Amino acid sequence: MSSGISFAVNGRGVTAQIDGAATLLDVIRNDLGLTGTKEGCTEGECGACTVLIDGKPVHSCIYPAVSVDGHSVVTIEGISDGETGRAVQEAFWDAGGIQCGFCTPGFIVTVAALLENNPAPSEDEVRIALAGNICRCTGYSQILDAVEVVVSGKERA
Amino acid sequence: MKVRRVTTTEQALEALAEHGSAAQPLAGGTDVMVQLSRNEISPDVLVPINDLAELSTVETNGGVRVGALVTHETLAKGALGSGYRSIAEAAHTVGGWQTQAVGTLGGNICNASPAADTLPPLLVHDAELELRSSGGSRTLGLEEFLVGRRQTRRAPDELLVSVGLTPGAPRSGDVYLKVGRRSAVEVAIVGLAMRLVFDRNEIVSKARIALASVAAVPLRVRAAETLLEGEALDGHLLDEVSAAVLGATSPIDDLRASATYRRLLVPGLVRRAAGVCARRAGVSSPVEEAYQ
Repeated sequence: MSSGISFAVNGRGVTAQIDGAATLLDVIRNDLGLTGTKEGCTEGECGACTVLIDGKPVHSCIYPAVSVDGHSVVTIEGISDGETGRAVQEAFWDAGGIQCGFCTPGFIVTVAALLENNPAPSEDEVRIALAGNICRCTGYSQILDAVEVVVSGKERA
Repeated sequence: MKVRRVTTTEQALEALAEHGSAAQPLAGGTDVMVQLSRNEISPDVLVPINDLAELSTVETNGGVRVGALVTHETLAKGALGSGYRSIAEAAHTVGGWQTQAVGTLGGNICNASPAADTLPPLLVHDAELELRSSGGSRTLGLEEFLVGRRQTRRAPDELLVSVGLTPGAPRSGDVYLKVGRRSAVEVAIVGLAMRLVFDRNEIVSKARIALASVAAVPLRVRAAETLLEGEALDGHLLDEVSAAVLGATSPIDDLRASATYRRLLVPGLVRRAAGVCARRAGVSSPVEEAYQ
């Protein structure tokens, strides 16, 4: 049985008819056509599906769509439009924090959320914030380098 | 599957009264949504309660009362204060940021996983659960609430609304230690919480020890607590405490670790926990240095 929800996605009001147990990821990708958010493990383990709900990172693959009714969602498409998000994306590119790229939208969203809350995180704080995002290519060093580039405001040598 | 939309706790209780065991309360969804997709549960009606603000508050007047919808993120930031560090430490290890941001204390309790991180620290703080139904409310100790693996005494028409914790005490310290294969986003191989209260002569006046992932439910070990009460900490005593803990637990072999490995972890965890509790209580400890 479908249920109506209305919420903001990247600052734009949207409505959707959803099935009871639909996930936010289903709605974002299939109903709204925002395919930047990736489906990885579908169990809230890998972080590829990370989006922001009211500014907090959430695994959209296990978040009930019905629960975002009246809330604000930001996806990687919205992050890319912001100053912080753009800086993070460029730093990932420069530092080699991207290989296959599948985990990257989730990482960028989580890093952007961290930097919005804490513009100068320590490396430990970065590692803790990124614990819920898994990357099988880079070994994480380049991702940490990328965040360091953004935090320090310096170009990578 | 239907969704019953509610805007107040009373409406949620009405929905549970109407649908009984066919209804599934839905908070952060971090367990329920996974169980739905694996077909481990098949409710007819979902009752989202994530926006019930009255269940999201923390009251710290004397004792502490934590709303069932308070998130792990809020707890991990130390919202309960310095007397409840074990709860903050446990909440900080529940999945990653994405899980902590929406996962709730009430959800962790009602899911009743043998490995639930917040349950040992709640047990050492003598957690009392307030269960409400449209017919009234009752209070139940957490230990009594937990029946078995993923089984609780919550009646189908009841909602866990808040958790009461024993007031903090002077010269007390608490800690949660967790062993996993990695340091984050990990299900506990063993989790151990301890709380010690000392008198002016540095004698343990009250002890609480509880563990996760060593039995079908997280459990308190009273025999071990009794050994500590009335004594000063020393290495020999803690060996006896460890033996009592091992006597009360029944770890299993699973994909995370063998029962033997779990047993081997216990003595070191007991000693480290006792040392940290003593340090946090401002009491000198003969046991911490060698094991930190």
